[in-house]
Amino acid sequence: MVTKVTEMVLNEAAKRLGVSLRQTEDQLTRDMLAATAGFINCTDGVNGDNPTEITRSDVDEVVRTLLSNDAYTIMDNIEGDDKFGTAPVRDAYFALCSTQLTGDLDNVSGFIQKNQYPAPMNALRSEWGAIGNLRFLVSSIGSVTELASNYGNDVYNIFCVGMEAYACIEQDGYSASFIYRPPIYDGPLALNASVGYKFAEVPRITNDLWVINLRATLD
Amino acid sequence: MADNTIIQQGYFTSDGTDAIISLRSDVDWIEVYNLTNIEGSTQWAGCTWKWYRGMKDDDAFTEFHAAASQATSVSTCSTGYNGATYRGITLFDSSDKTPGAAIAVTAGTDEVQPVYSTADTGKLVDGSIVRLSLTAQVDINGMDFTVDTVNTDTNFRLANALDNIPGIIAGANGYWRYIAPNADIYNMFHPKKRTIVAISQANPGIVTTSVDHLFETGQKVRLNIPSDCGMEQLSGQLVTVTRIDAGTFSIGVDTTGYDPFLFPEYDDAPFTHAEVIPIGEAAEYNHLIDDALENSAFIGLILGTSTDAAIALGSPGGTSGDKIYWRAGKSFSARTS
Repeated sequence: MVTKVTEMVLNEAAKRLGVSLRQTEDQLTRDMLAATAGFINCTDGVNGDNPTEITRSDVDEVVRTLLSNDAYTIMDNIEGDDKFGTAPVRDAYFALCSTQLTGDLDNVSGFIQKNQYPAPMNALRSEWGAIGNLRFLVSSIGSVTELASNYGNDVYNIFCVGMEAYACIEQDGYSASFIYRPPIYDGPLALNASVGYKFAEVPRITNDLWVINLRATLD
Repeated sequence: MADNTIIQQGYFTSDGTDAIISLRSDVDWIEVYNLTNIEGSTQWAGCTWKWYRGMKDDDAFTEFHAAASQATSVSTCSTGYNGATYRGITLFDSSDKTPGAAIAVTAGTDEVQPVYSTADTGKLVDGSIVRLSLTAQVDINGMDFTVDTVNTDTNFRLANALDNIPGIIAGANGYWRYIAPNADIYNMFHPKKRTIVAISQANPGIVTTSVDHLFETGQKVRLNIPSDCGMEQLSGQLVTVTRIDAGTFSIGVDTTGYDPFLFPEYDDAPFTHAEVIPIGEAAEYNHLIDDALENSAFIGLILGTSTDAAIALGSPGGTSGDKIYWRAGKSFSARTS
């Protein structure tokens, strides 16, 4: 019985630690991109702030810049199909951003929700939709620079990336280790077990021309 | 980490500014000993400070010489003694980029190094980073700046000169926020992109950044200059840094005949700022970012002090020349409510 309870706790701990590990990786990559990637402010919105809310012309400028820098798109186009309410989707770069931007994305001219894709089952779980040649992936831990706009509002960093624009480089020959020490190895009285993870990897921009931070405030 | 473990210890000679101690893991307590004051018998001199997790920021238990002898009395930094309160110890996580509280700016001058008046300079010292908002100097708002010439609870100045005067006197409805104690801690990753506030028309051109850049001679950077900022001839160029000082570096490009750089233009918002992007080191250009983007975040403690000699005497950061010892540790917590 004791063994069973221990295994249940370990299983739960392993699940939570796994999420924590990958989320920590994401946060480090996010912070590296926020610290170093070149940026373009959204300037064509009407909220009066600097940067403004995201608009179609801001998206077009980013796409034009990435194309001019010879960045490869990451996703292939989704061919049009004979289905009501759908629209073909262009080959696209990824735009990585906060879930807080979903409302503003819905309002951008030319926005295609992922349920309007001709083949929505091919959309990623975190995907929100597409505008022009950008497909937007949203996350609750998307990058925000707090209180950094002209009016002192939060600025949302939308990382628009081409293929192989950045990478995570494993250090010391491994990416991550899950570590479990049973009680007998963890203290002289064998009272407590230890479980945890460690990982050694470094996020890197591989070509600064293939990643652009499109900065926006909320509408 | 086992219970009741000392994780690190060390010593330093105070330079009269806040001492920032970087630790290799999280921490639950620290004890600080000012050897100079302990050996002396100066009245009101602080001798030891003890900080435990759960205490408020900038506080500690302290022992001090209540008379001109080596006998000691006990207080806390926030309660103080001799009619004064003292700086204490603050737990610090440099990966936490939450800005400080908004503090009112009551005025700002129209100069290339604007001086901002405020009744509360808080933790600001020369080299601190601030973010300005709603100061009426529109193009500067929302940006981070290194400050210098901090006059306690009176004013502070932007350390690195702007290309032009802002063109407008700052209004009284603005505010500033504390961002970081210095440029080293401002960077979670090193080196970091910087916003450009000036580029000279000279041979070679000299770039000034809003926050101290920390670039080293030989590093490769790319300049992104949007059309709003002038000097578009430089936009996209890859240049090699020759460090001049904390806020400026030359780029090895003759900018004499280029369009003038324009910043700030006070009525131009919204716009994209000019910026400098770190690319890699010089010796092996094709070996991209060999030493760049090092994650330099840490957990540590700030031992506060002051430019006011009477306050520095009772603060853990000490007076310039004080020999200070410390040890920090991790403990098992029980009954923390």
